[in-house]
Amino acid sequence: MNRYQREKALALARRLLPPEEFERVMSIEINDLGFGFDQFGMEKESAIIAYSLARYVHKYWFRVESDGHDNIPLKGPAILASNHSGVLPIDAVMVCVDVAIKLAKPRVVRAVVDNFAGFLPWVNVFFYRVGQVVGARRNFIDLLHSGEICAVFPEGTRGIGKPFSQRYNLVKFNVGFIELSLTTKTPIVPVAVVGAEEQAPMLGNLKPLARLLGFPYFPITPLFPLLGPLGFIPLPTQYHIRFGEPIEFYREYGPKTVNDPEAVRMLADKVQLAIQDMVNQQLESRSSVFGFGEDEQYDRQSASN
Amino acid sequence: MTAKARRTDGRRKRSAKTNILITGVTTSIGRNLVNHLLNDPRVGVIFGVARSDKPYYFMDLPPNKFVYRSSDILKYRELKNLFLSKTFRNAKINTVIHLAFQNRPIPGEDTHRLNVEGTRDLLGKCIETPGITKFIFKSSDVVYKLLPHNPTMLDENADLNFDPNADQWIKDRVDADMICRAFMDNRKVNIVILRMSNIIGRNIDGQLNAYFDSKPLLKTAGFNPMVNLLHMKDVIQAITLALMKDVQGIYNIAGLDTAPITTFAQLNGSTVLSLPEQLLAPVNWLQRKLGLTHYYYSVDKERQKYTALLDISKARRELGYRPLGRIEF
Repeated sequence: MNRYQREKALALARRLLPPEEFERVMSIEINDLGFGFDQFGMEKESAIIAYSLARYVHKYWFRVESDGHDNIPLKGPAILASNHSGVLPIDAVMVCVDVAIKLAKPRVVRAVVDNFAGFLPWVNVFFYRVGQVVGARRNFIDLLHSGEICAVFPEGTRGIGKPFSQRYNLVKFNVGFIELSLTTKTPIVPVAVVGAEEQAPMLGNLKPLARLLGFPYFPITPLFPLLGPLGFIPLPTQYHIRFGEPIEFYREYGPKTVNDPEAVRMLADKVQLAIQDMVNQQLESRSSVFGFGEDEQYDRQSASN
Repeated sequence: MTAKARRTDGRRKRSAKTNILITGVTTSIGRNLVNHLLNDPRVGVIFGVARSDKPYYFMDLPPNKFVYRSSDILKYRELKNLFLSKTFRNAKINTVIHLAFQNRPIPGEDTHRLNVEGTRDLLGKCIETPGITKFIFKSSDVVYKLLPHNPTMLDENADLNFDPNADQWIKDRVDADMICRAFMDNRKVNIVILRMSNIIGRNIDGQLNAYFDSKPLLKTAGFNPMVNLLHMKDVIQAITLALMKDVQGIYNIAGLDTAPITTFAQLNGSTVLSLPEQLLAPVNWLQRKLGLTHYYYSVDKERQKYTALLDISKARRELGYRPLGRIEF
């Protein structure tokens, strides 16, 4: 964005956000290289305008309920490791927005996106401007060294593109984040997201078409491709996000553990189990997928008591 | 101290100075480098070599500090005569800075010969000539392979572009870089490769310079990679540090200015036209035919899409390089 566009973006954000919230998000700091961008292409104004819009989706479309924010460090590096689902990576957006909303001092969560995002025109620019980075190891290390908070989805596209019948069964985690946590001595905050699986139930996968287009999968959902691009609009399920207690493997396992693939796999499995447990707990306590009428139900319960 | 001892000491002091042969001395970098080094007390004689006759801007330089010779290093006989010449031997050259490089992808056999064979022959001659202890080669960041999943910062160990479908000019640059790398095992000459990001400035014959001078400036729709611009001041600083420090190896050199390519285009006042990738090559060809640009899109296809910034931490650590120059648009 040029100067004029930045001013316009901030003016729009000022209209979209309550005054105190606008002041709060304006306090985010980026490692500006001199032209308003950090080395990964993040631009503060783009991130703020994206946040201002996504906040409405967070509040009114998905009506996100979340807890465990005390487990997220207010400063210094951290890795948020989350389950991943829902055809489109909206769960990642909701996690990032939730952290920005709920922390006393907002932090920009740098989600590590899949490599294929770099191929996609416009999508790649949008991702970079709002602070997301391609999942190259070096990028990850640079971010952690500069004290940023990173979100990883160790299931990768296998998680987001899994069939609806496999919902909330986490697929085997990739181990890269464990290696980086050990080498950079960074705590892992497990994150469980419930509600994303039902936003776009994946009924099928047109693999030949996906291969042709260079996508990891080509989904068939109840609305896509039936309604064309409109079919990508997710169903208004209610999201439940829980941030678990930080896992600090590096206190017990030294950086040389990365040379032991079995140990690294075991640690990744531990994180996966922790997140699976959190997901299961949330599923048990969830009374409805869409969450509509829960308030009335709650009110009725309160009144009868 | 006796007169003989004083003479010996004086000779030692003289030979302790760095006497430099610069190929491609008439390039913008060569010219700036000469002007800088002439004021450096650590530098003895500068021996400038280029294909053309001595240009006017070198006429007033002190003859005891600067010697110019018109020579075509592509011709083996001329190269040999250059190294055997009395002027060369008297100058006691101990360092060679190789700048004779075709910086724009002008098609033709001569470009390939200069960029690859010229580098190989010159380096071979340096190794077999006694007294030469350092060879500095100005390479470029185009040698790196650009991919969407590359890390944003590329260090010196990043993959090189060995793509068989790459433009011949890029292949030449990679070949020249690899030739220098292959000779690093020799025990006589310290070889320093400086891989520089996009040098921007007046009279610079580079791809990105030509890009920003294009009318209109074509861009791949849907992509806006981060680019780094390098100021001439920093080019000179990097070469001087490589010259004076006792180092060998490959160093990335980048400047202070890093932003998306359209930000620089806007600062430059360029009209940006975003086109689908498939249309860019023919439109760029037409632009060149109409004299609206000197830019070759075919060379920069990937660079137009993917970010590749140079990690200069090794140069900071070992050379003491600190970028200082800001580009003024």
